[in-house]
Amino acid sequence: MDLALQLLFTGIGIGAVYALVALGFVLIFRATNVVNFAQGEFSMVAAYLMVVAVEAGLPYWAAFIVALLGMALLGVVFNLGVYYPLRHRTYLPVIIATIGASILLANSVLAIYGPQPQVLEGWFETPGIQVGPVYLDSQYLLIIGVTICLVVFNFWFFEKTLLGKKLQATSQDKEMASLLGISVSTMIMITFIYSAVLGGLAGILVAPVLFVSIQMGSTIALKAFAATIIGGFGDVAGAIIGGLALGVIETFGAAYISVPYKDGFAFLVLIAFLIFRPQGIFGERVAEKA
Amino acid sequence: MPLLEIRNLVVRYGEIEALRGVTCAVEEGQVVTLLGANGAGKSTTLRAISGLAKPTSGDILYDGKSIAGLGPEAIVRMGISHVPEGRRVFPGLTVKENIMLGASNRRAATSEISREADAMFDLFPDIRKFTNALGWTLSGGQLQMVAVARGLMAKPRLLLLDEPSLGLAPVIVQAVFKIISEIRRNTTVLLVEQNARMGLSVADYGYVLETGRIVLGGKPDELWGNEAIRAAYLGGHAKVSA
Repeated sequence: MDLALQLLFTGIGIGAVYALVALGFVLIFRATNVVNFAQGEFSMVAAYLMVVAVEAGLPYWAAFIVALLGMALLGVVFNLGVYYPLRHRTYLPVIIATIGASILLANSVLAIYGPQPQVLEGWFETPGIQVGPVYLDSQYLLIIGVTICLVVFNFWFFEKTLLGKKLQATSQDKEMASLLGISVSTMIMITFIYSAVLGGLAGILVAPVLFVSIQMGSTIALKAFAATIIGGFGDVAGAIIGGLALGVIETFGAAYISVPYKDGFAFLVLIAFLIFRPQGIFGERVAEKA
Repeated sequence: MPLLEIRNLVVRYGEIEALRGVTCAVEEGQVVTLLGANGAGKSTTLRAISGLAKPTSGDILYDGKSIAGLGPEAIVRMGISHVPEGRRVFPGLTVKENIMLGASNRRAATSEISREADAMFDLFPDIRKFTNALGWTLSGGQLQMVAVARGLMAKPRLLLLDEPSLGLAPVIVQAVFKIISEIRRNTTVLLVEQNARMGLSVADYGYVLETGRIVLGGKPDELWGNEAIRAAYLGGHAKVSA
């Protein structure tokens, strides 16, 4: 039982990272009808930015802000360079462009930084605290805390503000939104910036737990993509719950069944969902909104 | 000077020439109805005015200034609000939110917009009880009310209404046209209708479009008086008083 609690904590911690990246997937998908295959690279680039900023001697919090600002800028450049020129085309050229951008980002970082994985220190001096039978790692606590804040912020932003409603309107019917005077290109720009920052946050938060490597982006993105399918593609709540569920499942699978097959469990669950419930946990709600 | 003047407007969709030189005018304070069969170019005319369709040639003058080729966001900010065919109410937003977004063309505090949206239900009492219902749950008539209310939130000088009666039960059509006669007190309206009888009943002036050209324009009773036109576009030979 103690082990189970410990695993639950770790699973939710890693699942929160998947949830953040999955949220980025869903927001861009809803705004542009395209899956952004470079979403994982956002996490990787942010982690490297963080490493660079810390090595440059910035205090941790300042490095954090610099890295997030860098991600906002990457969101702008990504939108203008990858999505905007192709926005009147079908989804296929855009998807291919995001795949291309993902390869470009990974190889640019490889060219600059080399293939050796980097290490990023955690935010806190204290490694963690013992609460009863469970050891709460401070980095995982941070991840969970930040994710909770972001989920609350996300709900408030999209449900309670007029700007959030304009973003939703844009994702539901661009032509109608433009007829009302909503600047569609601004809304999509905001979506890309927000998604890049979300992906970046996930990368920065998870970096001290994993190594900072070129491959970290694709690993996280694959899990996050699975999470969005499990949750119901295009559904915000589904992405978050799917991400958390995936983190917990793979952590338990690794502990009780097999460590080498840890990544396999996530995809086993994904395949099971694709066969038995392809619309995901929140599938019906998506259909109604379509 | 008319509020809206269209001169020799040509719009092409690829190879197809949807409008082949449309010329017409809308005076301030009037309701003008565009009549015509399916595919005559009625919707395309409205789409060109609101900036959704790019004119190939010709000009659109609004308040004396050319707006041809401007984007829809710029045009709605100048005071032309387009309620398009098919209502296009955002399915995942509530009725109130849909109506509030109609004010996106102008600067106003959210609280002010919210108050104006509430006031809109005085004109559309039938949808008041659906204030917090999501768009996709409404019926066709209710959607039409929401779409018109949203269009009015732009505080337009010129309202473009595309087929407001399409697919609605006769009693709902009556209700929609009652609202149009309310709106005309302070807004100029350009109305596209297949239902000629209803369309002309509220109009000061009417045009008949045929395969991308205006073939006739006149006051409603003049249009009714034209035997050939009545037979071809206004629905049979029955004697109707407009």
